[in-house]
Amino acid sequence: MREDKKPGRWLTAALLAPTSLWFLVMLIFPLIVILVFSFGERAAVGGYAPGFTLEHYANLPSRLKAFQNTMIIAPAGTLLSLLVAYPLAYFLALRVSRRYKLILLILVIVPFWTSLLVRTYAWIFILGGRGIPTLLEFIGFEGVRLINTPGAVLVGIVYGYLPLMVFPIFVSLEKLDKTLLEASSDLGSSPLKTFMQITLPLSMPGIATGCMLVFILLMGEFLIPAFLGGGKVFFIGNALVDLFLQSRNWPFGAAVSVTLVVIMLITVSLYMRMTLRSKTGRDESLM
Amino acid sequence: MSKNDDNKPITAQKFMQYFRSYQKGSITRRHFLGVTGLGTAMAAMGTAIPSLWSGKAQAGDLGDRLIFSTWPNYHDQANLDEFTANTGVNIQVNAFGSNEEMLAKLQAGGTGWDVFVPTNYTISNYVALDLIQELDLSRIPYYDASANNPKFAGPATVNGKVYCVPKNWGTTGFVLNSKKIKSSPKSWKDFFDVTMGAGSGHTIVHDYQLTTIGAALCALGYSFNSIDPKELAAAEALLIKSKPHLFAITSDYQPGMRSGDAWMSICWNGDATQLHNDLPEMEYVIATDGGEIWTDFYAIPKDAPHLDAAYAFINYMQDPNIQAREAAVHGYAPTDSRAIALQPPSLASDPILHPAENLMNGLEFGAAQTLTDPVRAEVMARFKSA
Repeated sequence: MREDKKPGRWLTAALLAPTSLWFLVMLIFPLIVILVFSFGERAAVGGYAPGFTLEHYANLPSRLKAFQNTMIIAPAGTLLSLLVAYPLAYFLALRVSRRYKLILLILVIVPFWTSLLVRTYAWIFILGGRGIPTLLEFIGFEGVRLINTPGAVLVGIVYGYLPLMVFPIFVSLEKLDKTLLEASSDLGSSPLKTFMQITLPLSMPGIATGCMLVFILLMGEFLIPAFLGGGKVFFIGNALVDLFLQSRNWPFGAAVSVTLVVIMLITVSLYMRMTLRSKTGRDESLM
Repeated sequence: MSKNDDNKPITAQKFMQYFRSYQKGSITRRHFLGVTGLGTAMAAMGTAIPSLWSGKAQAGDLGDRLIFSTWPNYHDQANLDEFTANTGVNIQVNAFGSNEEMLAKLQAGGTGWDVFVPTNYTISNYVALDLIQELDLSRIPYYDASANNPKFAGPATVNGKVYCVPKNWGTTGFVLNSKKIKSSPKSWKDFFDVTMGAGSGHTIVHDYQLTTIGAALCALGYSFNSIDPKELAAAEALLIKSKPHLFAITSDYQPGMRSGDAWMSICWNGDATQLHNDLPEMEYVIATDGGEIWTDFYAIPKDAPHLDAAYAFINYMQDPNIQAREAAVHGYAPTDSRAIALQPPSLASDPILHPAENLMNGLEFGAAQTLTDPVRAEVMARFKSA
């Protein structure tokens, strides 16, 4: 037995080594650097100087507004993306004939071939005074301001992140056993009831994945609020860009990063717990 | 200028252009002979003219790439394309909105930049931080120190060594849309009053600590360059009070002004020229209570990967003809008297490019310590996240 186990252990270690090394070098090590930096001091000309101080953590309230904006707009953006993406994914997975499915799926990906920066810059002109507001003037709504508002940022978010939400939902709807839908209607359920009791619960894994993908990325977003918020809708990502690239206060930037990581860990683990619990709950009830 | 030019005969049009420049004295005889190829022809005939044009000595293989960091709306793409056509060097342009951002990138290292465009007040900092290299002026034959006003070119020299050559000079004031703002504000105080009054929701300030904090300081009657914590606190209070009335905080203010969303913006005079040329209602104001006067330079970072291309590019951009062509597009005044002489009269006497001396009495050159002052940096960062 002992002789059997040893080579197995070595093999496991060898197989795990690349992943472990990756995590160590790409995740753990940078996080330690950031943690160490967050207790250091800003060098005289900017950057980092060794030291130990808690002043950067004490200074966190000065960025409260940025944390608030992020914590409100990131979940709102995720929800809005879900509301727009779900019907689209449903349509693609269940309503479109095979012939067009592939073409339509490609059309969802096509915007990804251009940089998000360019696409977001285009929205500056669409939402700017000569864009949609001019059209609105024709039908009698004067002086509408769209650009540089939280609404504009939300539009940018939905536009930029839609494919990330569509695909996981599409995949879980695609896998859905169509005979269940037939059985449901044979047993007299209305389409709405079928949707609520069969389709929606079975697509929950896709919804959960999509929301997670979009939410995590949104928490670090800076480009869309910078362009469509005009520097007035300020995310924590913008505060970070500022601290590292303008005011060169690396230690404070590191402290803000550490705080963001902690907030993310808490939010994401709560979210995982909720989705896992509801899933096991359903599995049990199915049994 | 380039290896291709050595092989291709000069066009008649270009020859005349250079000939006129030579006649006007804006380029030297040696230079004239060099670029037109007359010198080469003479040399070929056996006339001994030593080192006709030193640029030729290093017109070897320049590589195929140049990474160039500059400011928005600051070049004529046609000239960049011409450089590429002449030399085979493709230019990758990065646009920045503040000197602090450039400094942050250089401090972090590994930028890969070959040439960048810093402003006067940053040069001594870059030298102290060992981030830029001393220039070998023999590799920039188009640069003529005597043609440049020392008022503008001065900051290029630190401890007796030349670290950069001037690009353009200008002023920082504000631009307003006179169709929308009728009260004709004259000062930074007026600027903030209008922002928080009739023009609420339609003003842009730069995403740049020097000019935005500087404007607020001037409005309060302090120096544009103040680093006094009390004065900065007052400026921060003014900025935060005005923030709900701002349209945006961005150094890329032309789209907002052009679309009619913004009626007023802190503005560099060249952008004002560009706006005014397209939309006559755009008016440029040099504030009566202060502001900035500045010079931008071409500099080479310490670790520039394509050094030969960097020198060739800077030299090309120092050509008085190219300088004049650039200015015709970006609307900033050259510091080089040879290039000013080549400007059409309409530009040479343009009040936005070349304002009357008395209007500029209150303007200050940015001070070196504003770049690294931690209080100014934090005031700007807090204002933005407020």
